[in-house]
Formats: sequence, C-alpha cells, structure tokens
Amino acid sequence: MSSPDELARDTPPPYKRRRTGDTPSSGSSSPDVLAGNPDDFLPPRRLSQRRAGLSKKSVRRSRSASSSESRTRSQTPVRSSPSPTRSPRSRPRSQSPTSSNQSRSDSFSPEPQQPTPTPPREPLKPNYKARLALHGHAKAVSQVRISPNGRFIASASADATVKIWDAATGAHMDTLVGHMAGVSCVAWTPDSNTLASGSDDKAIRLWDRVTGRPKTTARKSAGQEMAPLRGHHNYIHCLAFSPKGNILASGSYDEAVFLWDVRAGRLMRSLPAHSDPVAGIDFCCDGTLVVSCSTDGLIRVWDTSTGQCLRTLVHEDNPAVSNVCFSPNGRFVLAFNLDNCIRLWDYVSGSVKKTYQGHRNEKFSIGGCFAILNGEAFVASASEDGDVILWDVKNKEVLQRVQGHKGVCFWVDVHGETMVTAGQDGSIRVYRHIGLSEEVNGNVCLSVYVESMIVFYGEKRASASCSIPS
Amino acid sequence: MNLLLSDDYLLQDYPESMTSTIRSGHATMLRFNRKGDYLASGRVDGTVVVWDLETMGVARKMRGHNKSITFLSWSKCGRYLLSTCQGWKAILWDLETGHRHREVRFRAPAYMAELHPWNHNIFVASLFEEQPLLVDVSEPVDVKRVLPSAPKRSNTENDAALKEKQAKEDAKQMTTSAIWTATGDHIIAGTSKGKLNIIDVKTLEIIYSEKICTGVITTMRITGSGRDLLVNSQDRIIRTFRIPNLSVEDLDPDTIQLPLEHKFQDVVNKLSWNHVTFSATGEYVAASTYNNHELYVWERNHGSLVCMLKDPKEEQGVIEWHPSRPLLAACGLETGRIYIWSVISPQKWSALAPDFAEVEENVEYTEREDEFDIYAQEEIHRRRLDAEDEDVDVLATDPTKEGDGLDNFRMPILFNLGESDSEDEFVAVSTGTMRRRSPGESQADLSAGAESSAPVRKKGGARGGRSKKK
Repeated sequence: MSSPDELARDTPPPYKRRRTGDTPSSGSSSPDVLAGNPDDFLPPRRLSQRRAGLSKKSVRRSRSASSSESRTRSQTPVRSSPSPTRSPRSRPRSQSPTSSNQSRSDSFSPEPQQPTPTPPREPLKPNYKARLALHGHAKAVSQVRISPNGRFIASASADATVKIWDAATGAHMDTLVGHMAGVSCVAWTPDSNTLASGSDDKAIRLWDRVTGRPKTTARKSAGQEMAPLRGHHNYIHCLAFSPKGNILASGSYDEAVFLWDVRAGRLMRSLPAHSDPVAGIDFCCDGTLVVSCSTDGLIRVWDTSTGQCLRTLVHEDNPAVSNVCFSPNGRFVLAFNLDNCIRLWDYVSGSVKKTYQGHRNEKFSIGGCFAILNGEAFVASASEDGDVILWDVKNKEVLQRVQGHKGVCFWVDVHGETMVTAGQDGSIRVYRHIGLSEEVNGNVCLSVYVESMIVFYGEKRASASCSIPS
Repeated sequence: MNLLLSDDYLLQDYPESMTSTIRSGHATMLRFNRKGDYLASGRVDGTVVVWDLETMGVARKMRGHNKSITFLSWSKCGRYLLSTCQGWKAILWDLETGHRHREVRFRAPAYMAELHPWNHNIFVASLFEEQPLLVDVSEPVDVKRVLPSAPKRSNTENDAALKEKQAKEDAKQMTTSAIWTATGDHIIAGTSKGKLNIIDVKTLEIIYSEKICTGVITTMRITGSGRDLLVNSQDRIIRTFRIPNLSVEDLDPDTIQLPLEHKFQDVVNKLSWNHVTFSATGEYVAASTYNNHELYVWERNHGSLVCMLKDPKEEQGVIEWHPSRPLLAACGLETGRIYIWSVISPQKWSALAPDFAEVEENVEYTEREDEFDIYAQEEIHRRRLDAEDEDVDVLATDPTKEGDGLDNFRMPILFNLGESDSEDEFVAVSTGTMRRRSPGESQADLSAGAESSAPVRKKGGARGGRSKKK
C-alpha cells in the first residue's frame, strides 16, 4: 500500500476536478491527518491506488492527494455518530465571547478583517463579510450547498463524509458516513429534509437530514435503510433535484446522465449525454428541462419527460464546460468554462448573452450560482485563487471580490444574505451580506451570534468547531 | 420551459399509441389533477393511489374505503382529493399528510361526488336511489342539503290528474350524475329518465330542465372553459351541448337554452359507451366502448371520428384525458391496469449537433462576406464581448404562466411507499415461482389495512410494508 503522498506523485495535477488536492508537491504534509485513524480511509485509498493505474480519464482525478493545508487540529474523520473526538470541554472556551479573537484565529488567518477593499455604500451592492470558518473535514471540501429554506449547510468532502451545519450559527449538526470514497456532490430536496450525495464509490445515497441516517424505506420490511442508488459505472460528479423533489438527476464520469425516481429509488431514464465526464447538471425552475455539461465542451438541454435532447450549446472556441446552472427564471443557462470565463447562454436562441471574467478557472470544476439580494441578481463564482467573485448580471462588472480560501475555492452557494464557500483547504466559510444600515450595529449582531452559539453548544455535542472572526 | 424549445405543437394533439402501462391493484376510477402532474386511481379494494406522471410511480396510497371506489375529484389547488366508494361514504383526503381530512357518510352508495371548482369544502354527491346532496364540510359537523331531481314544470294549471301523474313520474326521477359549472354557481344534474336539470346553488332550485335523451344519463363532463357539456347515456349516443352563460346578472330562467351540438354514435355496430371524456381543450371527445377493446376519438369541429385506439386486448372502463397534454389514460376492466396513450415526439437530430440544421429541401449556401477572414484571437474575443450589450433578465418569469394558482401546493415526497407497481398482483411462492394472488387473500389484507387505519392513522407505507409480508 502506498502512502498518500506517493499517490499524489503518481497522479499528475488533476484536471478539472474540484475536490482533489492539486498540490503534488505538498503531499508530504498530510500523513498526520491520515495517521489519526488509518482504517477510516482504507477504502478510498485502495480505490485511488487502483485508479492510479486506470485510464487517462481517471488519471485526472486523484482524490487521495490530500490537501496541504490540513492542520493537525482537523480531527480524525469520524465514522459514525457526531464524534467524540473533540472534547466537549474545549468548546465553551473557544466559543466564549471574550475569546472571539483567540486560539482559533490561526485557522482563519488572513481574512477576518475587511475582505472587501472598499465596502460598497449602495444597498443594492453585495457586501458579503466573512462570518464563520467551519472546520471538520479532513480533506478538501468539494461542494457546499445551503438548504432551500436557508437553515442548513451541507458540505461534501474528499474524506468520504458529508457534514451538515447550522447556517446561522455554524454549529456542526451531523456527519453522514457511509460512502466508501470521496464525495463530490450533494443536493438538497426542496423541502430541506433530505440530502443526496454522490461519491466516487459510484453510489448515490439519500440521507434524512433530521436523523442523519440513510433514508428508510418500507420496501422489504418497515424501517429498512434504503439501498444506495447504484447504476453509474463511474464516479458520480454532480447531482440535482427537480423542483418538486421527485426526480434526482445525476451526472457521472461514465458520461451519462441518469434520472432517478426518488420515491422508489429506481433508475427512470438514462441519457447518453456526453463524450466526456458530465461535469455539471441542473433542473430549471419548472422541472421540465435538465441541463448538463461536460468537459467535451457541450451543454445539452434535455426534456425531463421524454428524455430527449432539445438543444446543444457549443461555443466556437469549444472550451471545456465545468459546471452549469439555470437562471432563477429558467430562461438562461450559466456555464462555467475552463477558459476563465463564465458565459450566460440564451438556450432558446443558442447564443451567448454575457461573458463574465475576472476569476481564475482553468483546471477544476468550480461552482457558482445566481445570488439574489433585494430583488437584484448577481452571478457568484468561486475562483481557483481562493476568492469568490460577484458580478452584475447585466453590465458584467465585478461588484465584489471576497477573499476566501488558501488554495482553490471549489464552490460557492448563496442563499439571500448568506454565502458559503468550500475550499481545498478543507474548510467551509460562511459570509453574510451586511447592508448599509446593519453595518453600524454590526457588533451587536455578532454578540447575539456568539450567545446563541453558547446556548447551542450547551445542548448538543458537535464534533467540529467553528470560529468567529472578530 | 420545454415548450420554448420543442415544436411539439406541430404534432397531432390527440394520442396515437400506447406509451406505458401502470398498475397498482385493480383500478376502477381515474382522475387527473388540474395541473396534470398527478393521476389519482381508485381501486376495487377501496385504496386510493396517487400516481406521479413524471416518474410513473406511486406518490401516495391512501386506505380508508373498503368497497370499490366509484369516483374521484380533485380540488383546484391539488391538495385535496375526494373519493367515494360503494360503501356509502365519501372521504376528503388531505394529500399533504395523506390522512383523511373529512369523512361523510350517506344513506346509500354514491355514484359520484364532485368537489366545488373553487371551494374544497363543498361537494355535490349523487346517490343510488336517493336524492342528490349538496354537502358542506367547512364546519365540524357537515351540512347536507337535498337537491331536487324532479324536473321543473312550467304548467300551473290545477289539473289534479295531471299533477298526480307528474308526481308519480317525478318520484322515479333519480339523479345519476351531478357536476358543477365552471363558476361553481350552478349544478348540472342528469337523471335516470334522461332529463338534464340545472340547479341554482343559492336557492337549491331547478332553474332549467330538459329531456335530452331517452336512457339513463351515466356520465357528464364539462370542458375546462366550462362552455361545453358532454353527456353519455344508455341510449348509446354521446351528446355535446353548449352551456349558456349562467352567471349573467339578470338571468331569466325561461330564456336558458342548451343547444345540442353533436351526437356521436356507432350506427353500424350499435356500440354503447362505457365512459367518455373531453380532451384538454374540448376539441376532441374520447370514449371507451362496451364489450369492445377500442377507444374512439372524435373531433368536435365536424363531428368526425379521427382514430380508434386498440392496443390492449381488454375492454376499457373509465378514461381520462390529461388536462393539458395529448395523453389519455384508461383502466382495463378485467385486469385493472392503467393504460396510457400519448404521442411520441421524435428526436430532433439537429438538437444534438448545433452546427447542423434539418432542412426540408436542398438549400444553396451563401457564405458571408467575412466568413473566412482571419482575425487575431484577441480581436475576436473583444468583438464578442462588445456584442454582448443586450439586456437580460434572469429573474422575471413568463407572465402568461403566472397566477393560475396551481403551484401553491407541493405534495411531499414519500420514501416509504413500498413497491410502486404490481404490488399485490403476484405472490412469490418459492424461488422463481410466482402465483397470482387470489381474491380472498387480498380481502384479508385489506381488512387488516382498514382495521389499523381506523384507530391510529398510520402512514400508508407502514401498511404497505405489512401487505408485502403476507
């Protein structure tokens, strides 16, 4: 068995793979993470080792190359319940209001102060300020998503776990363990009670948010755990629920898009979608269309009910498309290209309406979304330099550049005033929009925060920590 | 959204081929909800099953009746479903919880009970050998008001003999079918003597009567617009009428006219019709035939037969046309399967390759003046960006689709439903051996289900699980 750093050398810097560490040189720093509990990571390691000898496609991904930043404090990945690894007594200390500038600040080093060079003064301008840094994942966090009701954050990580966090306090609520390999994607059902996760073990699992256990089914006998959705021949890379929550779309490295009947847990339709790994997938707001994209440079729009391809969008330069999402009204498609551009397509006319530039995106399948603040829409995207960039939809201007992670920022999700990012450094960061009026009494807000966290911790144990910027 | 991309409107708007078959028990009654995404089916054993048309899977199962379901009716919002059975009762189901919202008992088996088009707390029930009832369940104790069936008499002479004769006749008049007009201000009722009555809901009086056929009126339906009425009767003729505007201010009951538009019949075979339905817009009329396998579809402009659907080798009972698509559902009388006919839209091959276009005939290609000019890459890029001056709106949705009020209710997605299809058709006897479940067995199963449902309202899934074990 090779050590992780050896693997990292085996595999060249992965190409367009958001979750993986792209730091072959730094592989040496990680063993202490794995040393904590070696068997926890046996399956993924084995997988990835095998993969090292796989075809060219698989070489692009080396999940096991753990990120360089992972500090020793990131506790050993927990296998089952909310873990006891973090001693309860350490919590009150770190959370006490007096120590808000405290021992944890190392984890948050450069950024607590003013992420924006000039805080915008107009109410319509986004002004996201760093609030929390959530630590707990042992490896790079590949995707992070806020639940539709805005109360929870789900994060998928290369350490084969999914974690659920409280969006308001940053408290760790649950760790979902079950995947045998790194998790690339998560998706919330519209009612925020169920979570789907897709992993490199080729399985999609559905989780009950309330219990933190796999969904149960009455299929064979009452109360039995639902079997994971299996059918893809390769790693699952992206997931999306239909607006009603009855259909789950999954895109995989096997180049197909599958539509699943969520209730019965059965494969409904498989679309022979692309000639390269499917990198991104999304449902439009009325659920009739699915868009998928691939590193082959194609964006395809599918009819959900018939499974037919209704439109294919290709840019003249044919840049690889690493992620895709519909606009809130479903009339446009936002495509993240690996030529440092984000393009807004009108899929009816088949033309590019806007091109957003200013971020870095050449290797990874980084994510972004539309953000809506006060009825105004923005485009938000992560960047490979660790920042988050927000553009005006109409005039393509960069409205805010938020400093985020050390290393690549893989994903950003925005829900109203909350923004959350996932980074290669294994941390999740939560930002909040501070409007003009709120800025004055920002301190008050913060103290309320801290108090609520203390209450929370008094009641419930959590395995991961969070820290508050001053 | 998919309508923007598809040219399905070019396709024919009546179904042509059978596209799927679904089964859960022996279905006897079908009904689509207003939006057309769910299909409710009532079974012989009294179970009501709600199908999701997008996944063709079971969305809910509700047990509460123990006799064959005779009629189903959806509320406008899609949250409530009224079912009547041969067991003298009607249940109003709340699909949010899957529990019975209200239960109303009658003194006779009910032919049908139709919910008010706007108010889910009011419905009209036509009973076997009883006068129809207008039931209001908005209060904790339901209010039943008896509606008249005896036709309105214009003569006021005091001829005792005539009066007696009329009274005798009137005593035999029984309402067999009663439906609401589109506004919900009037009820159209058909009687066992072929009379059609229009009842004013405020006064509960018959404002108009006419003898429209000689046999018993078995089915009445109106189009979504409420302007056309379809009547099936036992005299083997299907009739369509134009409904006058009954909501005018100063409606004079004496001026009401109900002009007959078409008569559909098979004069050669003298077929009689099991069940009839209007198409989505009322342009077509479909009927299932007695003692025959075919479904007949007529168009209403000229009154001509457009097609006969004859796929399953089975007599069809209730048929239902989808409220917006060319999709027809029918349930087989013998097996209780639900057959679905639809149109199959062909894959447009040009949608898969955007640089190809489908042409009907040869087109001479004229190249643009600058088509093969060579520019620097930056120049092209700059030009492209400059061209993106169009204003885009990613938030505003299509105003024509707004405000129909059908999107308010979202049915929860259940994971504990049990097998979607063929639930109790076959029983595994030993490895590889199946046998058809005998009727007695399913009876036992159903009584067990009914028992458990009476005291504690358990989730349908728990019972589904039990039925599997038997």
